[in-house]
Amino acid sequence: MSMVKTEKLVFEYEKRDDEGNVIGKQRAIDEVDLEIEKGQFIAILGHNGSGKSTFAKHINAILVPSGGTMWVGGKDTRDDNELWNIRQSAGMVFQNPDNQIIATVVEEDVGFGPENLGVPTEEIWRRVEDSLKKVGMLEYRHSSPNKLSGGQKQRVAIAGVVAMRPECIVLDEPTAMLDPNGRKEVIRTVRDLQKREKVTVILITHYMEEVIDADYIYVMDKGKVVMKGKPREIFSQVDTLRHYRLDVPQVTAVADSLRKKGIPVKPDLLSRKELCESISKLYGKKEDLLEETATEEHTVFGQGKDPILSLKNLNYVYNPGTAYEKHAMKEVSLDLYEGEFIGIIGHTGSGKSTLIQHLNGLIRATSGELSFRGRNIYEEGYPMKELRQQVGLVFQYPEHQLFEVDVLSDVCFGPKNQGLSQEECEKRAKEALQMVGFPESSYKASPFDLSGGQKRRVAIAGVLAMRPKVLVLDEPTAGLDPKGRDDILDQIAMLQKTTGITVILVSHSMEDVAKYVDRIIVMNKGEKIFDDTPKHVFRHYKRLEEVGLAAPEVTYIMHELREAGVPVSTDITLVGEAAEEIERVLKK
Amino acid sequence: MIRDITIGQYYPAESAIHKLDPRVKIVSTLLYLISLFLFRSIPGYLVATIFLFGCIGISKVPLKFILKGLKPIFILLLITVLFNLFLTSGGNVLLHVWIFKITEEGLRTAVYMAIRLIYLIMGASLMTFTTTPTALTDAIERLLHPLNRLKVPVHEIAMMMSIALRFIPILLEETDKIMKAQIARGADLESGNIIQRAKAMIPILVPLFVSAFRRANDLAMAMEARCYRGGEGRTKMKPLVYHGRDIRAYIIVLLYLVLAIGAGRFLPFHIWIF
Repeated sequence: MSMVKTEKLVFEYEKRDDEGNVIGKQRAIDEVDLEIEKGQFIAILGHNGSGKSTFAKHINAILVPSGGTMWVGGKDTRDDNELWNIRQSAGMVFQNPDNQIIATVVEEDVGFGPENLGVPTEEIWRRVEDSLKKVGMLEYRHSSPNKLSGGQKQRVAIAGVVAMRPECIVLDEPTAMLDPNGRKEVIRTVRDLQKREKVTVILITHYMEEVIDADYIYVMDKGKVVMKGKPREIFSQVDTLRHYRLDVPQVTAVADSLRKKGIPVKPDLLSRKELCESISKLYGKKEDLLEETATEEHTVFGQGKDPILSLKNLNYVYNPGTAYEKHAMKEVSLDLYEGEFIGIIGHTGSGKSTLIQHLNGLIRATSGELSFRGRNIYEEGYPMKELRQQVGLVFQYPEHQLFEVDVLSDVCFGPKNQGLSQEECEKRAKEALQMVGFPESSYKASPFDLSGGQKRRVAIAGVLAMRPKVLVLDEPTAGLDPKGRDDILDQIAMLQKTTGITVILVSHSMEDVAKYVDRIIVMNKGEKIFDDTPKHVFRHYKRLEEVGLAAPEVTYIMHELREAGVPVSTDITLVGEAAEEIERVLKK
Repeated sequence: MIRDITIGQYYPAESAIHKLDPRVKIVSTLLYLISLFLFRSIPGYLVATIFLFGCIGISKVPLKFILKGLKPIFILLLITVLFNLFLTSGGNVLLHVWIFKITEEGLRTAVYMAIRLIYLIMGASLMTFTTTPTALTDAIERLLHPLNRLKVPVHEIAMMMSIALRFIPILLEETDKIMKAQIARGADLESGNIIQRAKAMIPILVPLFVSAFRRANDLAMAMEARCYRGGEGRTKMKPLVYHGRDIRAYIIVLLYLVLAIGAGRFLPFHIWIF
């Protein structure tokens, strides 16, 4: 018997007008037929709005089909008598870790499901302990969920599902709001469960690296299943995936560009090892190579120009004098210049958010000096409001701060606070919306009706409308799908080139930083440990690993190739560069 | 800023008080609070002080933490004291400046009122510091259980309370974030008259409400996905059962009551006007 089976599954959302009358229908799922075997690790890929989450909610019978049938463990999800059995056998983990934890203590939250099922008290305790052990969170059983990291919260949520003894776990983008380490943590946990406990896992995601090990992949677009197959089959179709707004792992991307250059590497590569073997076979010999040593050269930025922002020995201590005292920033000195595109990287808690909130005076340093255009912002009577207009700060998930009735008025909020006339405000707002590529036809739409990517554009425009000289963005791509990520970053890069403003990008993605910025600042435990060009910084990939970071995947490919005796340069951070370098070596 | 509020927080520790049944703690706290209003004399408050500080000592909650809880009510306390001080008449006049005068009775009422309020807050916060919000709501659910017969949805109310408690810190953090984001867009939250300030809150309240609704929606779905269907047929991971120590605690509280009221009302011991 299959775990999940659908036949011509259709789901339609009803659109209603203000009086509640149905004015139209929108198909979120369009005649999906699939069958998932027990004990497998299944991935469902698709861009935001492709219908994958709606599909997931059917497996747990949160939504019931408008047409066609869905069986979970052989039971029709439309059968009301089976509802609770279905929900028990197909557990669900959602995207936002905060919004699915019910209790204020970890163990009580894990016990919530069994309590609802009417499991006897002693058995609940056994199950709670057992589930927490399985996800590696037993030592946190008495903790408050608020004190846990995102990855840990998701593991608690998984334990909460495991405690209900399900046959199948559906995870709806469980890693979308996590940092890279949290993501790995969650995926490892899920993989372990599937392997050891033989639970069927259905993982919905748009991170390609997470699904390489899947037994089977479905790709959804516009409510239909448009591709299905083993990971190898799926990832060899690079162009088709990109067409569906998805991406491929960098290994596959390198292999694909090599093949486009006429180099016959194997077509269905997934791991670095496979790619390196294929290339070294083509190279034919194994040379004795030394590892390229990381030279200690440093790039001097600015070259005699006056910095726009200058930080001298900045320190910041949270809650000084209490039990929660934390040195969030230690002796940070930096000079930032006009027109630079800077990336700030560091794992969660490294002090990067604290650092950027200093730049526009939202946080005041405990000691040290910060000057904007040569003037110390901590001196008495410094016009903070003006500084905040000059240094625009876009927070993470900025769309959560939208509040106005329409897009244009929301973007006008910044200029209006500057005391400009209505006319001037609108002029600046329109200019800013154009800069982020927002369509003019939606200027009068409510910001709450837009898609995730569009909302984010409006929120960024809201800061740009103040015409800042420095634009700071805290993870502007968090939660977007691959195409959405690229679109936003391309837009920002273009904006930076055309207007010449300084852009500071805080990011978790080494690949993004390598692709876009000219200068990287690496933070660790409140200290600045590197400040250099991407190439120079990524030479120190071993040091980066020690602080919970990494180099882009391509850099590792080059290192492994060199170890395998292929004389490539390891100073490579981009897919295109890697393909060219390998081509150069192979054609020699 | 807003994160300074400690009332309603739980302080994890291993102590005899933490281990007590939450029903004992609720009932005892109530009795203690009532007892504070039953006497106005030094011996009575002496007993109450010993009892309160004894409990704090046993609970292993740092005194600093409990005192911090007084900060938010400081203004309220001040107003109460000033009103009592200046508006109560009776006894000799101690001080007379312009239209203000302080009488013996006024001073006495003000001082006792201050002590009562401070002890009241300290006692209540000791209870919340030593009891998890879930235990607290469980206890309320059990104590109010008889109301079920009057068709009061006791389980639902308790569930709502525990969810509210879980989301208070999250929403506070969110408020902080939204405030910062709007300040970064040049919002001015601090100057202007009342109307201007109220208007300045719109950019903070609207996103906050939107987010609260989104969270409520998500949470409802997550609860349903985990088979939540109301209180019927539900078992408890931590059912409330009275142990020996709970009975002993009740006896100690009763002893305190007898002692405090006895000392407070019948021991004639005065210093000056108190």
